[in-house]
Amino acid sequence: MVKRLDCLRLLASWMDEHMLTATSLSANYREWNAVWKNGANFYALNLGMCLPFAVGLSLAFPRRKVIALDSDGSLLLDTSSLVTAAAVNPGNLVAIVFDNGVYGRMGATATAHAADLEKIAQGAGIKSTATIRTLEEFERRVKAAMDGAELAFFVVKVEPGKERVDFDHRLTHGRAMKEAFVDAVRRHPDYRANEKKSS
Amino acid sequence: MDQQTIQMIAEALKEEGIDLVVTMPEEPTQPLMEYLRNDPYFTTITVSAEGHGLAMCAGASLGGRKCVFVTGIAGLLVGSWALAQTGLLYGIPTLILASYRGDIGDRSGISGPQLFMFQQVAKPLLDALRVPYVVTDQKSALKRKIRDSFFACEQYETPIVMLLTGEVLW
Repeated sequence: MVKRLDCLRLLASWMDEHMLTATSLSANYREWNAVWKNGANFYALNLGMCLPFAVGLSLAFPRRKVIALDSDGSLLLDTSSLVTAAAVNPGNLVAIVFDNGVYGRMGATATAHAADLEKIAQGAGIKSTATIRTLEEFERRVKAAMDGAELAFFVVKVEPGKERVDFDHRLTHGRAMKEAFVDAVRRHPDYRANEKKSS
Repeated sequence: MDQQTIQMIAEALKEEGIDLVVTMPEEPTQPLMEYLRNDPYFTTITVSAEGHGLAMCAGASLGGRKCVFVTGIAGLLVGSWALAQTGLLYGIPTLILASYRGDIGDRSGISGPQLFMFQQVAKPLLDALRVPYVVTDQKSALKRKIRDSFFACEQYETPIVMLLTGEVLW
């Protein structure tokens, strides 16, 4: 198992300000905001919302990398979103599911039990998948996906618990966060670049 | 839904620059989706559950991609979690075309108790979610209402549902 924060620090080192991210409501949003604040980041999407939101974002920005930072409990609410992600097959989307095996705020309440999230994704039709257990694997597999051009899905086995991090609570929740996201999106050089004019 | 209505919807969507169409297959709107799928102007995506279809539309919409979600009353019920999040919580504009199943005039073949259930829950559900809706039952008003609804959802920053019924749907 790895620490989520170590993975996120590595990921942040590969980011540029034109990439876009979406995170689930878990330790993901706190720790991601602590290490990366540039560009357009939509934080703390509730259960089942993160991966499909990121798929939609990838359709709006087809030439930019979109990264979904999801979590096991969130994905499990609607695993059928994997079927849709595979069917849409956005080559600019990297989906990372941080899997600590439990629902974050409810102690040892198991999420996936004996289910294998990577195999579920494979069964849904996603071709590039991996389950990651070390930081070295994360660096090798995820960096390659960030540089690549195909839909990639990773399950990262992380230790339960939260790190103490310095994050901006106001800008990671609700309308204030959304407005900051929209401001960043509208400043993006690709914003509505492919818009079809009225016929 | 007849050919004339389908073409009116397609024209109105094009006039607004809406080129992304997301749906969970549903009988009354199936001919519309078939038509849009065969028009290269549109990108059409079929999802396997309404909740993540609405979440996908939310991401696309906030990213600046103009989109529409096509569903029915059952889809609104299933997608209510996503609607509460994208609407009440974040205020994300999303145009939704929904067949108004169970409305008086629905002779599509679903059973009476199901019809009545849809009729009973449709408007209270949207009211509870604070999602504005407009009942659209006249072809003559269809294009105008699509344009107005899309404009309003972007201005209000909320999902808006067009409940399609009457001569528009049956």
